[in-house]
Amino acid sequence: MLVSWEWLKEYTALEMDREQLEDRLAMSGLNHEGTEQVGDDFAIDLEVTSNRPDCLGHIGVAREIAVLWDQPLRVTAPAPQEGKAPVSKSTSVVVECPELCRRYTARIIRGVKIGPSPQWLQQRLKTVGIEAVNNVVDISNYVLMECGQPLHTFDFTRLSAGRIIVREARKGEKLVAIDHKTYELEPGMCVIADAAGPVALAGVMGGAATEVGPNTTDLLIEAADFAPLNVRTTARRLKLHSDSSYRFERGVDPEGIDWASRRCCELILELAGGVLECGMAEVHQAAPPREPIALRQSQIKRVLGIEVPADETRRILTALGAKLLGESSDTLQVAPPSWRRDLTREIDLIEEVARMHGYDKIPEDARVPMTASHKREGDRVLSIVRGVLTARGFDEAMTTSVSNLEWVECFRAWSDQPPLQIRPAMLRGADRLRQSLIPSLLESRRVNESFANSVIELFETAKVYLPQDAALPNEQLMLALTSGRDFFHVKGAIEQIIQALHADVPIDISPANLEMLDPVRSCRLSAGGEMFGVLGEVTPAGCKKFGLRGKTTVAEIRLSVLENAAKLIPQFAGLSTSPAISRDLNLVLDETVRWSDLETTVRASATDAAAAVGAVLEAVDFREIFRNAKKDGPGKKRLLFSVTFRADDRTLTNQQADEVREKICEACRREHGAALLAG
Amino acid sequence: MSEFLTEIDALLAASEAAFSAAEDAESLEAARIDFLGAKKGRLKSVQKLLGGVPKEEKPAAGKRLNEVKGLIQAAFEASQQRIAAPANDAAITEAFDPSLPGATTRIGKLHPITQTIEELTDIMGRLGFSVALGPEVEDERHNFEALNISLEHPARDPLDNFYLATASKNTAKKKTAPNNKSTAASGGATLMRSQTSTVQIRVMENTPPPIRIISLGRVYRPDEADKTHYPMFHQMEGLWIDTDVTMADLKTVLRLFAVSYLGADVHVRFRPSFFPFTEPSVEADYLWNGAWVEFGGAGMVDPNVLKEVGYDPEEVIGFAFGLGVERLCMRRHNITDIREFYRNNVRFLHQF
Repeated sequence: MLVSWEWLKEYTALEMDREQLEDRLAMSGLNHEGTEQVGDDFAIDLEVTSNRPDCLGHIGVAREIAVLWDQPLRVTAPAPQEGKAPVSKSTSVVVECPELCRRYTARIIRGVKIGPSPQWLQQRLKTVGIEAVNNVVDISNYVLMECGQPLHTFDFTRLSAGRIIVREARKGEKLVAIDHKTYELEPGMCVIADAAGPVALAGVMGGAATEVGPNTTDLLIEAADFAPLNVRTTARRLKLHSDSSYRFERGVDPEGIDWASRRCCELILELAGGVLECGMAEVHQAAPPREPIALRQSQIKRVLGIEVPADETRRILTALGAKLLGESSDTLQVAPPSWRRDLTREIDLIEEVARMHGYDKIPEDARVPMTASHKREGDRVLSIVRGVLTARGFDEAMTTSVSNLEWVECFRAWSDQPPLQIRPAMLRGADRLRQSLIPSLLESRRVNESFANSVIELFETAKVYLPQDAALPNEQLMLALTSGRDFFHVKGAIEQIIQALHADVPIDISPANLEMLDPVRSCRLSAGGEMFGVLGEVTPAGCKKFGLRGKTTVAEIRLSVLENAAKLIPQFAGLSTSPAISRDLNLVLDETVRWSDLETTVRASATDAAAAVGAVLEAVDFREIFRNAKKDGPGKKRLLFSVTFRADDRTLTNQQADEVREKICEACRREHGAALLAG
Repeated sequence: MSEFLTEIDALLAASEAAFSAAEDAESLEAARIDFLGAKKGRLKSVQKLLGGVPKEEKPAAGKRLNEVKGLIQAAFEASQQRIAAPANDAAITEAFDPSLPGATTRIGKLHPITQTIEELTDIMGRLGFSVALGPEVEDERHNFEALNISLEHPARDPLDNFYLATASKNTAKKKTAPNNKSTAASGGATLMRSQTSTVQIRVMENTPPPIRIISLGRVYRPDEADKTHYPMFHQMEGLWIDTDVTMADLKTVLRLFAVSYLGADVHVRFRPSFFPFTEPSVEADYLWNGAWVEFGGAGMVDPNVLKEVGYDPEEVIGFAFGLGVERLCMRRHNITDIREFYRNNVRFLHQF
């Protein structure tokens, strides 16, 4: 909202420094956006929040200044000279949609002379960024900028049958507005019509056909109150925003309508001549009277933390236009002014008192009581996950939650439900809530390849949105990774996370069966029958789909499963002072024997065998796998691993260790046909 | 005896030559087995010759043998050290350059937004605020109604929010589960949350006061992406409800926050503003390097909001504040384009 420094002086004295004024207005609710010199005047740009339409005119801003400096506000009641001819003989007003138009007033002036406005008026409009058109149009703009009430002037002789009908638009109706564009109207939009059809879009813009032009002699002056939501919807739908629609959207002063109409007529008579017909044509559904508000002085302190003297409270509220209806002990009965429809409750009045008294009086060194705060387990888990991954060289990425159908369908590990759709789309047509982070991470990978970054190791922790039979989707926090290295590198990262969380659960491996992943070099991970992860190397076709030049391995982990299994407070397990003893085993096995199966056998037999010599199995460590088809024959592999055990109370002998090793070999031979490789 | 001594001296010379000639652990090990091997090592063979030395000379020969044994072992260990850390022992021929860069492994970086969030969470934790979470897909009740945002409010315009398209959701359900009754949404239409205040409502609905929480996370608004806007960003919101919380407490908490974050004493000021869920509502600024910097929106929780969650505004009172994480992070690190956060260029990530 642009206000003119000179214009404001019309309503209250401006003896203060301009910058000081701008600063105090900002501190009391009208944020100062900037000031520009226009001729001898200054255009001060103030930000008016949507609850304060009363400040969308100079009088409203002047009132704020008057309260701040404790000085009078001068607003006189307009008194246009009325003629003899009654307006009722010239026109009539019918409102067919009372819910869209609470009040409509029309006055008529005949015999005006259209011409340019006087310099002072043109100058004021220019300061606030409005172009001068002719005296009548300028005056209606002037009054709008003066009190915030939009007005419209029709060329009365062009109104068919001289009638005003406020109604909803009919299907197929069109209007050429004063911007000379044609707008297709729809039912639900409120229009001003004459006997023939729509002549204006209520509260938004007038029509070209009834526009006041150089030859206009007779005027119908409209001052009305249109429903805010309807004006906004219409303006948005037609992409037609005006100074009028801006004010109606926020609500006009229902009791300021007649003032604005009279003021407009007064200025027209003065500057364009003509005769005002007697009275006005009007439809008015009076709003129910507003309840007075009880304001307890004690509540001011309860909210603000400081006392405001009762005299100051009374002064501020009165100066803002409220009426004090009564007072008993601690309580004031307050009738708020008609232009402040935002004031309906005690707390609203407290805010008024606070902002005018000054927020700078509220201290910033109160004694705030201490309280304990607790770090969420989920946040502890995330810290550990991030720590492991950054230590392994992964960088954290952040990608948007919305994806597209193709991406959702190319990687579906967690749901087979169609993805949820949003409107409008977010970026580049993305309109489906993602069910995996991996496609977005692959896109980030592509972007990094395009920047020629050689090392691209990324992870992200974010939610996926799985549809379910409830109002809200199942949001699952996921960890996803993309690496330029192979399956085992990524698997190792996941295993280290699980170790770091002390999530001591046996993990089962099953086929991934995902089109994007290599059918062999991929798997799903589950714990206790619950699938919690998928990982694998992306197929060449999958890489191509995402425009990737290099290979990548991806993984996605449901963090809630790890969080449930995590032991965030590990317990001390004791430390034996006896040395551990370990034995290497090099077994020849069928290719089809999996490490996980062999390990189960090794652990079971090693535990028993170690117990037999009074020791405890401490570790089974995979070392290496290699093949020697010449010596071992086809379809065989060699698996090298070591087994470590320890007795609590003594040093194990080599002989005991060899005994254990022998028993492990025996078990592996029995269960997996493994042969011990000599040496 | 002299024959024996010649033999062991020759052995010593040969072993020293062999150990110092070894260039890597493998060849050194071969040399070790050759000379010091437990079964067939040359020292072992020479040792056997001691038997042939006349009895009276044996003590001297034995003593010498032990000396040589020690020297060979020392020669081996010296070479072992040289191979393990070649520069150490080669100071004369090869210059050790301590100015060379150390050996490193690549360490990944946390996203600057995560770093900022961790710092904010940490500071607020010290001020007694615990983290609360809530869903990112919300119903209208939690995103608007309970926050005193009426149907007429511009913030509820469908074009200003990412609403979920219910039609396609229903068809989807029909396809997969034809016998399921369509579930009636209890909280109205659903949308991507446009603010983290939704979490405050969920916490208050389920927790009696006092409450001191922050909620952090992704929020969504259909802004065109440019240098300062992105349709997804992060917010942090704080809420404190108790029987006697005032705006002075609000100002103090925000100042303590700013002092903790900036590491220097700063002042806080309030400018009146308007938010449906707080009354009075203010914009908070802090004074930093001689200029007022916008911090975020704040205010006393609107009595309507307290009533909505079943609290009695005559009994309890509180404040709420919110700020944009991206903006804070951009200002702190002098990042000029918000879109960088979501491009994930590794070179960008490694700058923080």
